[in-house]
Amino acid sequence: MTEIVGFCVAAVVLVGASLAVVLTPNLFHAVLWLAAALVATGGIFLLLDSPFLFAVQLLLYAGGVVTIVVFAIMLTERLVGASIRQTSRFVFSGAVLAAAVFAAIMGFVLQGGAVARPIAGGDQLRELGRALAGPFGVPLQLLGVLLVIALLGALYFARAED
Amino acid sequence: MTLPPLAYHALVGFVVLNVVIGMVTYVTLLERKFAARMQSRIGPYYVGPHGLLQPIADAIKLMIKEDVVPTAADRWVYNLAPIVFLVPCVLIFATLPFAPGLGVADLNIGVLFFLAVSSLEIVGLFMGGWGSNNKYALLSAMRAVNQIISYDLPFVFAALVPVVLAGSLQMSVIVEAQRGLWFGAYPVIGWLSFIAFLVATLAAENRVPFDILEAESELVAGFRVEYSGMKFALIQLGEYAHMIGTSFLGALLFLGGWLGPGSDYVLIGAFWFLLKAMLVFLVITWVRWSFVRIRVDQILAISWKLLLPASLVLLLAAAFWVAVRGGHGA
Repeated sequence: MTEIVGFCVAAVVLVGASLAVVLTPNLFHAVLWLAAALVATGGIFLLLDSPFLFAVQLLLYAGGVVTIVVFAIMLTERLVGASIRQTSRFVFSGAVLAAAVFAAIMGFVLQGGAVARPIAGGDQLRELGRALAGPFGVPLQLLGVLLVIALLGALYFARAED
Repeated sequence: MTLPPLAYHALVGFVVLNVVIGMVTYVTLLERKFAARMQSRIGPYYVGPHGLLQPIADAIKLMIKEDVVPTAADRWVYNLAPIVFLVPCVLIFATLPFAPGLGVADLNIGVLFFLAVSSLEIVGLFMGGWGSNNKYALLSAMRAVNQIISYDLPFVFAALVPVVLAGSLQMSVIVEAQRGLWFGAYPVIGWLSFIAFLVATLAAENRVPFDILEAESELVAGFRVEYSGMKFALIQLGEYAHMIGTSFLGALLFLGGWLGPGSDYVLIGAFWFLLKAMLVFLVITWVRWSFVRIRVDQILAISWKLLLPASLVLLLAAAFWVAVRGGHGA
């Protein structure tokens, strides 16, 4: 029962905040709504018995990504003086596309039928650590390489013009 | 009599919340008295015996002050900011065990929860800085974002060294793992990571010498310059709650938490823990009143060129040492 109520609250906040992100013209408000949406996503992870993902979601997305986006907005908008408004020119076609994607996903979900939630045994965190260091070790390393490449790319773009 | 779990957690949460607020009020007095002594002053003295009622007088004063909202403020953002700022600062106490079995929730991701929630504090901070529509507040929020991007990583890495040494993110397990030797006394790795943790703490809490975001000679009071009355009080409350919470974390990760003579009794354990946390807090205060503020570029250089590589190396060294020593028997 508490789970259903919790899910409803998280879902309403998530959908509402996500809509606000794309519809509000004020860029700074959009970021704040994004932060709310990311926290609500974390809440859904929590309801799914995954406190680890919840914490990572807060640490990396709500704390990290939002901070960096705010940094970019502050640098451009108020300090440089250029006022940037969010202009959503294709709201209608975007809504149609979103509805189509939603219908498709719902179709798959409904076709698949209900699946019982796997019962997690033992210390989930320990299992996760083992999986990341064992069978998923190589993908993890590759992700690290990808991030380093992205960093190098950012450095390339940010280099002083000569 | 046993309460149902939800009611129990709610009750403990309520008690912890009130204790935290009470502590915050009196920690300000502790800081003022300590600072005064360092400067050969007496400090607050006239309200109550030896100034003991000063924090209560301050609180009442703040509550009855007029609440001024700037006309040009972004009203919703401005009004919500103190609450968004305060909530994470209080939530960090949720996973702290104050003594064996005494705490709101001893999660198995305790340390991670602490780090994750305290990283949300910045949202309230830049909401205040932006919403005030004041250039000093905005500059302060800019600097805060800058500083937090730089110091979050060393802070997390330094806090992860005890986690690696203990082999768990659960706070009570980390404390029990220090029964033989506190992690702060662990040869070389422990010493250095405790120092790294303290420096990163100073920066994460925006204390002198890293307090460029409220540098009073240039930015007045930083992001909270437009706040008055109760909203100002909420921001102060959040700031001190964060500082005390981090002091508790430091005492727990590096100084053995509640361990000490007679710590098998809950109250004695809680007393030791409080004592150690206050010790960390006083070290932070001592630094605050002893050093001068450093420049923005120096702050960034310290983080990126020294603290971040050092804490990374420490984390790797801890992991290597644990691997050599033979893991955690799991």
